[in-house]
Amino acid sequence: MEILVLIKQVPDDSVDIKLDPATGAPKLDGVTPVTNAFDTYALEMAARYKEANGGTVTVATIGDDAAVSSIKECLAVGADKGFLIKDDSFADSDPTAKAYILSKAVAKLEEINGAKFDIVFCGREATDVANGAVAVKLAADLCVGVMTDVIAVDPADGGVDVQQQTDTGYNVIGLATPCVVAVQKPDYDPRYPTIKNKMKARKAQVPVITAADLGTEADKVGAAGSLTKVLGLHEPPKREAGIKIVPTKEEPIAAVVTRAVGMMAEAKVL
Amino acid sequence: MAKDILVVIEGADGAPAGVSLENINAAKTVADGAKVIAVSTCENCAKTAIEYGADCAYVIEGPQFETYNADVLADAVAQIAAEADPAAILTAATPKGKDLVPRLAAKLGAGSVNDATGLELDGDKIKFSVPVYGGGIISDVEIESPVQVASIRSGAFAKADPETGKAGEIVKKAITVADDAVKFQVKDAVNEITESVNLEEADVIVTGGRGMGSKENYMKLQELADLFGGVLGCSRPVYEEGWISRAHQVGQSGKIVAPNLYFAFGVSGAIQHIAGMVGSKYIVAVNKDEEAPIFDVADIGIVGNANEVLPLMIEEIKKFK
Amino acid sequence: MNFHFSEEEQDILDALRDYCEKEVGPKAAEIDEEEKFPEEARKQLGEMGYMGIYFPEEYGGAGLTYLTYIAACETIAEYCATTSVVLSAHESLCAWPIYKYGTEEQKQKYLVPLASGEKLGAFGLTEPGAGTDAAMQKTTATDDGDHWTLNGSKIFITNAHYADIFVIFAMTEKEKGNHGISAFIVEKGTPGFSVSGHEKKMGIRGSSTSELIFDDCKIPKENLLGEYNKGFKVAMTTLDGGRIGIAAQAVGIAQRAIIDTVKYDKQRIQFGKPIWKFQNTQFQLADMQTKVDAARLLLYRAAQAKQDGEPHSHLAAMAKLFAAETASDVTRRCLQLIGGFGYTRDYPFERYMRDAKITEIYEGTSEVQRMVISGWLGNTIEA
Repeated sequence: MEILVLIKQVPDDSVDIKLDPATGAPKLDGVTPVTNAFDTYALEMAARYKEANGGTVTVATIGDDAAVSSIKECLAVGADKGFLIKDDSFADSDPTAKAYILSKAVAKLEEINGAKFDIVFCGREATDVANGAVAVKLAADLCVGVMTDVIAVDPADGGVDVQQQTDTGYNVIGLATPCVVAVQKPDYDPRYPTIKNKMKARKAQVPVITAADLGTEADKVGAAGSLTKVLGLHEPPKREAGIKIVPTKEEPIAAVVTRAVGMMAEAKVL
Repeated sequence: MAKDILVVIEGADGAPAGVSLENINAAKTVADGAKVIAVSTCENCAKTAIEYGADCAYVIEGPQFETYNADVLADAVAQIAAEADPAAILTAATPKGKDLVPRLAAKLGAGSVNDATGLELDGDKIKFSVPVYGGGIISDVEIESPVQVASIRSGAFAKADPETGKAGEIVKKAITVADDAVKFQVKDAVNEITESVNLEEADVIVTGGRGMGSKENYMKLQELADLFGGVLGCSRPVYEEGWISRAHQVGQSGKIVAPNLYFAFGVSGAIQHIAGMVGSKYIVAVNKDEEAPIFDVADIGIVGNANEVLPLMIEEIKKFK
Repeated sequence: MNFHFSEEEQDILDALRDYCEKEVGPKAAEIDEEEKFPEEARKQLGEMGYMGIYFPEEYGGAGLTYLTYIAACETIAEYCATTSVVLSAHESLCAWPIYKYGTEEQKQKYLVPLASGEKLGAFGLTEPGAGTDAAMQKTTATDDGDHWTLNGSKIFITNAHYADIFVIFAMTEKEKGNHGISAFIVEKGTPGFSVSGHEKKMGIRGSSTSELIFDDCKIPKENLLGEYNKGFKVAMTTLDGGRIGIAAQAVGIAQRAIIDTVKYDKQRIQFGKPIWKFQNTQFQLADMQTKVDAARLLLYRAAQAKQDGEPHSHLAAMAKLFAAETASDVTRRCLQLIGGFGYTRDYPFERYMRDAKITEIYEGTSEVQRMVISGWLGNTIEA
């Protein structure tokens, strides 16, 4: 099985990111770039699939040089090779343009690997912009089937059976390969890197693939190839500041609760 | 807006989801005189949608629609769109809706957004407000393709007051989806969670976090929820500990909720959790850690042990009931 | 002396810190409260390669430096003192003597599974009547031709219930005192060998501390570790390394106490301002951090000397003495700065204090360290 995992580097999603009023852009100083959490689940699922069924796992991302660190992280936790897809013309690409770039990248990587991919794993969405469209649009560009919210992938006749998480459990979905799956958090966590794999990954080369390598058309990438446009960013409406009560000797916890419930009654929420 | 807006109605057992009815109202805010047209595979849902403000409805008919298949529905809605030539297609930002949006957009060669919390008319386009970076920032997005496809978060808009028995044209469309448009098959639907939990439509949610300490303590929240006919919510660690099923999880990886009253007991307030409940009208938080981020969004915060406060609060609230 | 870690070593230590932050720290309170052995962390640390971090790759290790190993012990101790001692008892006290004194066959058979984290190790020297005074060993090993027969018991053995491989000391010629002790490798499950009881300790409560009993326990002839009657040297050189691991544990505990105290004091408002703003708080913490950094320098110096093959008994003793007493002092003072909440078990400060105390006692009490240091002084300075 040839497996491709598409990842994205995003700002650490455990940090509360605010708008910088001076620049109108997100304040990202001191926020560590990390691999999108859903992509780490996708890689873990892909690695487990490979370990059970054989094959190789290739990782790729569209990004700048900083994204190499995410590729190397992936190489330490189950990926066999990694590629950076980088070009100035790719800046400001929306999901439609990214899907186009990735569809070209799939063909290029298949040429480099000398084999067709059977499954393309993605995270269900990126934790930064959370659009959740790239995987589906990529599948459309590749003319293959796609399933979202996937929590398990198993081999089946002519393809794979995947579990799609639902509100009440999961659907069993049959997909012919090649296919794309967009992964939701399964009931296991991604592995931690072993020292040996970490050292190997540090030394790994991450080849760069450019627009020229892919043969992307200029009007289909970047802002020109995008169908959505960000007009601007702003802060969400602020909640009115509430009250925080700390019990004291004079007002022990029981009295605090009485006062709090009184306030709730006044606010007519009871 | 000169062209009409299609609203794809999600429904189960002949009743539309509440968020789909909210979507009709959302569509009306930007329709600018054009029609808001409900699209459904269920006639009853279409009727209800009209009562809640849709001008008319398409009911999709055909044997392929008996069980849900996203590829089938996306193709059918695309066929309707080809005929109706709408300005926008809206649906609910549920797991199904968020999956449908990009499928539909791909078929229509359209741009799309998921999880919009606001819609505003901006010339002949809609400006969609979309929370990014876990909700700390709102991105205003315009879709430049002729058709704009979007899902809208539950609680972002209110439902209209229904007009019982309101007339509206219902057009039945018998649709066949070509085999090559359907690229997967649904082999089985497994129900692991048998209880029906409707967090999104609950008026009151009582959520417990890891701070409850144990499953036993967590379950004591039920008594408080029962006082309001409310629903139990949980944070991700609580579900992962196995104290309660995933159906109760509030947050980015669970349900996005906006009840009238939200209790958070022993919830520290990770960004992912807050993103899921910050839309609540009134928030009461109890946490022993004075610096817990949950207090930043709470209307009333009590610094104290959640297990100690819970019985006291139940007793106090009973006095008002 | 230069203690800079290479970029690669720093990367490994960062990865370990990330792991500890997510998996070790959050479980430390539970491990303590329920006296629960950190089984999962031991398994994961093994899989990741940290249970054999400084042994050569050909013996299943990760091939990093001793200094990196010591920094790893320190990092883990910052999150959970119990988990740290599980690792250091395994690596310093069991895997190391096999690496240093073992035959090639012994290394293949025992070091490889230990260093790869597949099996857990322990070390048995202390007896009811032979703590600091190792020559008072009552456990005996008799040469019965084709095997050794062990009789006696060992107490306070770290990892006892969970270990697979034990390095055990026994008298082979009692009349010769220290020169009649030999070291042996004993496998779990050997007939006549059993583990009994569970010490209820003040701190590091998740670590398994129990008694080993040898009742006509027959072990193969080839399980003699090092030379016959040279066990005392095996024990002492092993403990020299072990002490560096314990010093690392002490530094980690103390550093964590300071970090958590500063965090708490910045939030806790009294008399209208965060208590961090009071000069008493600031100065005390400044003194404490200075002591912890001094301890860390002693620690890294000892580790570097061991790594370079230089004499280091006295350096290890100084590092352990100072780090252990610093940890006890710092954790006690941190608790005092926190006040009443610090004394409750809702907060970790009392645990830090309890965990710190053992570092003054095991693998040689502070008094033993003073003996080692003064002995070195006496030997190196002429009258």
